[in-house]
Amino acid sequence: MDVIIPMLVDGLAASAVIFFIAVGLTLVFSVLRVLNVAHGSFYSIGAYVAVSIGGLAASAGLNPWLSFPILLLSAALTAAALGPFIERTFIRWTYGKPEAVQILVTFALFLIFEDLQKLVFGVQSYYEDSAMQVLGTSEIGGIIYLNYQLLLIALAVLLIVALRVMLSHTRLGKLIVAVVADPEISQTLGINASRVYSAAFTIGVFLAALGGALATPTSGVAPGLGADAIVLGFAVAAIGGLGQIEGAAIAAVIVGITRVLAIYYAPAFEPVMPYLVMLAVLLVRPYGLFGAAQARRI
Amino acid sequence: MRRFAATLAAALVAGSVPALAQDKPADIGMGVFTFTSGPAAAYGMPGRNAAELMIEQINADGGIGGVPIKPTYVDEAQGGEGVVSEFRRLAEDPEMDVMVAALSSGNCMALAPVADQLQMPMVTWNCDTHQLFLNETHDYVFRPNSSTIPEFVAYAAYLSATDPEATRIAIINPDYAFGHDAAQIFTGAMKAFNPDVEVVAELFPKLGTASFNTEISRIAAARPDVIFSNLWGGDLENFIRQASARGLFRNSKVILALGESVLQRTDLPDGVIVGVLGDGWWMSPDAQANEETKAFVAAYKEKFGEYPVFPAMKMANTILAVKAAYEKAIEASDGWPTRDDLRDALEGLQVDNLTGSVTIREDHDGLVDQVVGVTEPTDDYDFPIIGEMARYPAEKITPPVGEDPMAWIGTLSPDFVSSLPAPGSYK
Repeated sequence: MDVIIPMLVDGLAASAVIFFIAVGLTLVFSVLRVLNVAHGSFYSIGAYVAVSIGGLAASAGLNPWLSFPILLLSAALTAAALGPFIERTFIRWTYGKPEAVQILVTFALFLIFEDLQKLVFGVQSYYEDSAMQVLGTSEIGGIIYLNYQLLLIALAVLLIVALRVMLSHTRLGKLIVAVVADPEISQTLGINASRVYSAAFTIGVFLAALGGALATPTSGVAPGLGADAIVLGFAVAAIGGLGQIEGAAIAAVIVGITRVLAIYYAPAFEPVMPYLVMLAVLLVRPYGLFGAAQARRI
Repeated sequence: MRRFAATLAAALVAGSVPALAQDKPADIGMGVFTFTSGPAAAYGMPGRNAAELMIEQINADGGIGGVPIKPTYVDEAQGGEGVVSEFRRLAEDPEMDVMVAALSSGNCMALAPVADQLQMPMVTWNCDTHQLFLNETHDYVFRPNSSTIPEFVAYAAYLSATDPEATRIAIINPDYAFGHDAAQIFTGAMKAFNPDVEVVAELFPKLGTASFNTEISRIAAARPDVIFSNLWGGDLENFIRQASARGLFRNSKVILALGESVLQRTDLPDGVIVGVLGDGWWMSPDAQANEETKAFVAAYKEKFGEYPVFPAMKMANTILAVKAAYEKAIEASDGWPTRDDLRDALEGLQVDNLTGSVTIREDHDGLVDQVVGVTEPTDDYDFPIIGEMARYPAEKITPPVGEDPMAWIGTLSPDFVSSLPAPGSYK
């Protein structure tokens, strides 16, 4: 009984990180209808950029509170540098093509980025934990937690709200919703669908990079980060229903909590829990918890 | 027809000449297997660096018997299948003479039968699993370092000597043979020393885990007296950073079996029990009394910017063992030693190295002392060193040849601990 609160806190903290990975993937799929394997690379590139800039700031003796804007800035820089370029250069040619082609193209991108990261950053691990250190710890249910873990939960909730507000109340959001609903009619109404695709893809890159950047203060960065992220991201997005933002959030919580339950009561099953959950959900609901056979909503 | 037969016979004789003549070669081909990429490179690269430096030094001194070593490095991160293929490819090259392989116990287990099949001497440099020689003999495989049994019994003995009241144990080890074997050995030894010992949490996160936060909560909730871990490489660094920030080191005694390998990279608190899976501590009294070791350490620091952690010392000691075997083989052979001559020389080899000595037993396993201690601050370096050391003699802490290791652990008792050197006695 005394482990319920720790399990809940751990589960939500783990869910937050998983959600950051999955939400960008599901957003890109809902708009572009592309299963983007390279999403894992954007996650790890965001992490490398954050740890590099954060490391420079720390060695320059800057105020550690600056770590937080640096994490955000790193994600923005990654998205600005890669989002429009990758979409226009590689992704655009896959629109309307069979899913196998899309997966092959994005998988190729993923492999190229993995090797580029090794060329640029080497194979060693990097750590920059100023953001974690400066926030300190709190005791919940007799267990010491990093306040940074609690911040991640709050940020995940904030992100859901921000995305919903963006999609419902901003011009860009409304354009995205219109293109998702019917790209052909949107274009006849004068909406530049290409620009919307590019913007949506860039937002997806930003969300992936933000997830990677936010993970660095507690986890560090090492080769292989992107592969783990994309596998987990796909599982969560599939459980929630591809293209469903709230679905991704609930799926992330389910996966996070079940993984924590496994660690507490059946550690041997922890690595396979996300996939067991995915299997169980897809057997009952092949389009995920919130997905529908033909629906194309966001 | 007679002419053809004569030509064929001449060709056969000529073809066999190089194998028998054993002319001094241009160089000694040495395959060196380690992890040079991925999270395991944090452990593997010091080994690679030490090999490079030690081979440079040997070659600068004229090589072995006047022949320089020519290393070929193989990255174990490519996976077991790739490692075996590389081994086969190199072994088929007549200019390849010996393999220093490997870091991963899994790779060693896969390579050992291949080495026997190809009759290629394989000298392991890390490869700690006690299962390597457990149920099989490998004529061409030698381990001039210790195995998981003496290594993890040593930690249990040290803990029992320093904290005999500790009964609640939590374990967090990597999810493969090395982690599971260590958990079984450590738990078995602890229960042999104190039957009241109970395991209150046992976790095996997969290799490459980025966040251990749930595992840390689980361990904290179990309120253990002792946390034992043989995590290594990037995983160990991650665990230390996360666990230390969450106060895990304050509430329990912590044993990090491979802790020395990250002393220079992490802020490990004082009082953590650490060791070097053998005797490869560059600052041990034996190492500091050896001028050759001090020169190697200084050269390593100069070249790579940090002091050699124990994987580096293990690699350096292994190459010294190969050198000693070659010198023994050269003395015993008429010409330049063949692979089989080298294999024969490795049998029963006894060699002094940078941090002590090693003896290769009849089962090809190494007898190496175990150095264990606790982290403590020092004014001389900006990272903690190992203090309160005990150096456990290899003969005392290693099961006899042919005895089932787990059965041997079951025969241990508290008297065994009191018969060992006391913590703090190795000065």
